[in-house]
Amino acid sequence: MKMKIQIKTTLILLTAFLSIIILFSGFVYLSVSNYSYEDFYKLLEIRAVTAAKVELDKEGSSKELIALRNEFFEKLPQEKDHYFRIDPGYSFKKESEELGLPLSFFNEVIQDGKSEYNKNSMFYKGIRYKSKQGEYVVIASAQNYFELHHSAYLRRTLFFAIIAAFLFSALIALYFSRYVFRPLHKITNRVKEIGSENLHLRLDNNMNNDELNDLTRTFNNMLDRIETSFETQNNFISNASHELRTPLTAIIGEADVSLSKIRTIDEYIETIKVILDEAETLDRKTKALLFLAQTGFNGKNQRFDQLRIDQLLWDVKETIEKINTDSRIHIDMSLLPENPVKLKVKGNEQLLHLALSNIISNACKYSNNKIVHVSIGASDQNVFVIVKDHGIGIPDNELKYIYDPFFRASNTLKYEGYGIGLPLTRNIIRLHNGEILVSSIVGQGTTVQINLPVGQTD
Amino acid sequence: MEKTVLIPTDFSIASLNIVKNYLNEQPAHVRLNIILLHGLHQTDSITGLLFYSKSRLLQDLVSKEFNEGCDVLKNKYASKIRSMRKDVFSGFTQAAFNQYVEANRVDEACVPILYNPKFKNNSSFDLMPYVKASNLHIESTGSGIDVPMPERGKVAELFFNRVPVS
Repeated sequence: MKMKIQIKTTLILLTAFLSIIILFSGFVYLSVSNYSYEDFYKLLEIRAVTAAKVELDKEGSSKELIALRNEFFEKLPQEKDHYFRIDPGYSFKKESEELGLPLSFFNEVIQDGKSEYNKNSMFYKGIRYKSKQGEYVVIASAQNYFELHHSAYLRRTLFFAIIAAFLFSALIALYFSRYVFRPLHKITNRVKEIGSENLHLRLDNNMNNDELNDLTRTFNNMLDRIETSFETQNNFISNASHELRTPLTAIIGEADVSLSKIRTIDEYIETIKVILDEAETLDRKTKALLFLAQTGFNGKNQRFDQLRIDQLLWDVKETIEKINTDSRIHIDMSLLPENPVKLKVKGNEQLLHLALSNIISNACKYSNNKIVHVSIGASDQNVFVIVKDHGIGIPDNELKYIYDPFFRASNTLKYEGYGIGLPLTRNIIRLHNGEILVSSIVGQGTTVQINLPVGQTD
Repeated sequence: MEKTVLIPTDFSIASLNIVKNYLNEQPAHVRLNIILLHGLHQTDSITGLLFYSKSRLLQDLVSKEFNEGCDVLKNKYASKIRSMRKDVFSGFTQAAFNQYVEANRVDEACVPILYNPKFKNNSSFDLMPYVKASNLHIESTGSGIDVPMPERGKVAELFFNRVPVS
């Protein structure tokens, strides 16, 4: 059966409370009645001794004893004293029948000196008393007052106390479970409100540092991430369409203008050149987009081989120098490990080539062809490729957006580019279980650190 | 020839650069035992001592980047480095430091020219006065100017020290 945790908690608390209370009152009842029995027997013994002294001994001081007895001994209900002389060989059969006492009671008195017996709230205490006339069995009997009144009263009191305590603890348990689960209810209700159309809503954070606050914070962090990826998605579509439309607009405009009247051949050539240029840009962009989409999925159709990073870097350097003859790339081998096996990485050469050439050509581009340092090193787990330029840098507050497709930092306006390279590179590095770290100071330069896990040597 | 060298460190990548420079300056046939020593006042409470574990202590002090940097250096100078270990010095007196130096058979110390350690832990302290007052042979290395670098704190910092800016 499915039961709400709140009700469960209440019930558990209530049972715990109740069992404690019942245990407690049972203990009180038993110990009090036990104590009162013993007490009453003691009282009867004293009565028996005094009675015997007064009635049997009749000593000289018995006058004062009688006065004392009359004055201070409160009469007990149905108090009676009996005296029986003990003769050798005499059995107390007749007396026991007369008083309604078992014969063993008398035998015990004679043997042990004292005995106790109770029947229907009548209490009997017998003692063996040695007087001047001989030995006697003295029996004092009375009705136990406590048994009659007090014990019933105690039972009643305890019963009402249990009921009161039950009600009280029920209230407490209810309140407690409400109190504990109220924040959870709040969170649930709040989370229910949040949908895709109001992702900016967050859970309220109360300032205590408890577990529920942890939960709230985790929720909020998750919402942050979801919101960011939502926004990225939205931006991506608008940016992509914008990026693709720009060259198209240029082509359409150019064609429109040239068609408006008859033109010379040179003009047509010029127009077609422009159109070709723009079409090529469009082609590059769609290709890059395609690549981005492909690398965004898990690499199913990419082959991974063992390859040496230093070799790859030399290839990349060659390629970039072919495209941009002004670039100055310095490959720094000063921390190259002595054991070349440590430079081996498991990866797809084409993809890594693309990623590294992206990073290095960016470094060249944004530093106006100042020297770019590329270093390699290897620890036991990772191969490090570090690209350092002395270019324009990336503003601090824009550093977190650099992996968004089509994002371009605010200081890159005079450089050509469309902001697909870095997300593409990151996808590729991720595909290789690597890490890419970018740190930058505006106006000083940027350092890109790529960690690639060392390939298993098998 | 085998040598043991003591290098004070604050467990930052910058301090690893000292190690790198020092290793660069050593002749090829030298085999080195490197001790990266960190000054740290340690707790003397009973519970603290009861659960004391040096490896856990070092784990807290040393960042992942620092360990990676150490590995890079070890791979680079595989034939020069015999051993490289991190240690914590917790003494209060010069005599304690001398004792440490003697016990570990340290032959020389290497200190940076420009030294301004940044400690993560409050109870860390500067070892430089002890090193200077001991009768160890002291090598100084590194550059005298501190240029701000974007890659500070990353492994990348290890790769670009004393890069001639042209």
